[in-house]
Amino acid sequence: MKYHINYLFSFLSIIVFLILWHLFSIIINIPYFPSPISVIKAILEIALIGDVDKYTLAQHIYVSVERVLLGFSIAAITAIPLGLIIGIKPLIKDTITPIIEPIRFIPPIAWIPLAIVLLVGITRYIFIIWVGAFFPILLNTIAGIKRTSNILIQMAKSFGSSRNQIIYKIIIPSSLPEVMTGLRVGLGVGWMCIVAAEMIGGEPIGLGRLIIKYAGLLRLDVVIAGMIVIGIIGMLMNYIILAIEKRLFKWRQEIIIT
Amino acid sequence: MTILSKEIIVDSLTKIFTQGKSKLEVLKDLTFDVNKGEFICIVGPSGCGKTTLLKIICGLEEPTYGKVLIRNEPPNPIKHRFGMIFQEDSLLPWRNVIGNVKFGLEIKGYNKKESEEISRKYIEMVGLKGFENYYPYQLSGGMKKRVAIARALAIDPDLILMDEPFADLDAQTRSLMQRELLRIWFGVGKTVLFVTHNVEEAVFLANRVIVLTKRPSRVKSIINIELPYPRNRLSQSFISYREKILKLFHEEMGVSEFGT
Repeated sequence: MKYHINYLFSFLSIIVFLILWHLFSIIINIPYFPSPISVIKAILEIALIGDVDKYTLAQHIYVSVERVLLGFSIAAITAIPLGLIIGIKPLIKDTITPIIEPIRFIPPIAWIPLAIVLLVGITRYIFIIWVGAFFPILLNTIAGIKRTSNILIQMAKSFGSSRNQIIYKIIIPSSLPEVMTGLRVGLGVGWMCIVAAEMIGGEPIGLGRLIIKYAGLLRLDVVIAGMIVIGIIGMLMNYIILAIEKRLFKWRQEIIIT
Repeated sequence: MTILSKEIIVDSLTKIFTQGKSKLEVLKDLTFDVNKGEFICIVGPSGCGKTTLLKIICGLEEPTYGKVLIRNEPPNPIKHRFGMIFQEDSLLPWRNVIGNVKFGLEIKGYNKKESEEISRKYIEMVGLKGFENYYPYQLSGGMKKRVAIARALAIDPDLILMDEPFADLDAQTRSLMQRELLRIWFGVGKTVLFVTHNVEEAVFLANRVIVLTKRPSRVKSIINIELPYPRNRLSQSFISYREKILKLFHEEMGVSEFGT
């Protein structure tokens, strides 16, 4: 059965959430804690007038998205081929795993001191976002390759396929859906690293930088406004890739549903 | 007929699988041969290594002892043209029907135009004209099997190997596919090696039926089916062949529940 989203309830839940938030801000009565109304005002203020450095919300968004896409692209370019090699060559997997396994549990924030010492300018942002996005892409790529059906490989061999033909015609296309999932998760994690990355970037622009700037001024209304914008953009990016996945891998989606 | 004209020679073939310390002897001293253009059915209890035998014949597995010769040479999927039809669904889910049928032709090095033409021809032959752009998930089990058959035939195989291809089809589709397969076989005159555990199917299709023993499998008996095609399943002679093979089968199983 196909389920249709009940938009009325989705909308109502937002309204109820805002009302509860508003009541909460009245009850706790701390001047620094903003009500939803002051956050909406803050969003409009940054969007229309700009922040203390005259950068508007659109400029902050543009710069942050650009940085994340850059770091994410480099993560994709490095993680997909590495995942492919690890997935295909067991010996390389055994060699690399003891290095990769502990590294992937180090949070991106822990890399900040290294980035400050070793890197300058935009490479600092890219590095932190790369660290965040790299591992989800790598791990999903490896998982996708591992899940290649043995019967398809045998079928290809029975026709006399070479090793390369098996890689290009069977293993890669069959692992693409997982690679795409890795890209989606990687972009999400990369985006979540934006505040950490922009903490060390130095330039006064970017959504993460906006939050840090106003945190110093104790203007939590703008901080929360920035947080909300980060959340919404992350969600939109996720939807876009999900939509692409659905289109590209229709053959797979249907298999899962039925 | 001299030994040189044999299409397939299986000579004292033994296959032992080793997993850790345990050894599983699947095939033991299997010997038979197949003439060019023959339709051979191999029947035997489940788990008796029929699939393994097919995989050795098309070079996907190595024999432990003994040998298999295809036209006096060891099997080589690059040199020989094998049309293997697996028991499992072996279609590429990301390719549509024509893309799947083209697969073998691509591997064999046909150019785009040729493989397009040949694929369309075989899709029509298996009765799937109009379904060229459908994806496997949109097809029924029987249609998928036809695509796999078209893919195997498209490369103009020297040898067609079929591993219980109709096992998971319903009775009606199964009988339809059997008749289709015979029609195609009459048309192309290929050598066919067809594995099944369905005795009636074997009698309906084969020139010769090779009955295997239970594991470790040997050749129990080879029966010539001297009936003209198309065969009538209800004829007395058909039934007596079926009973004869079933009896051999039951001896192996030690049970009588094994029907058609």
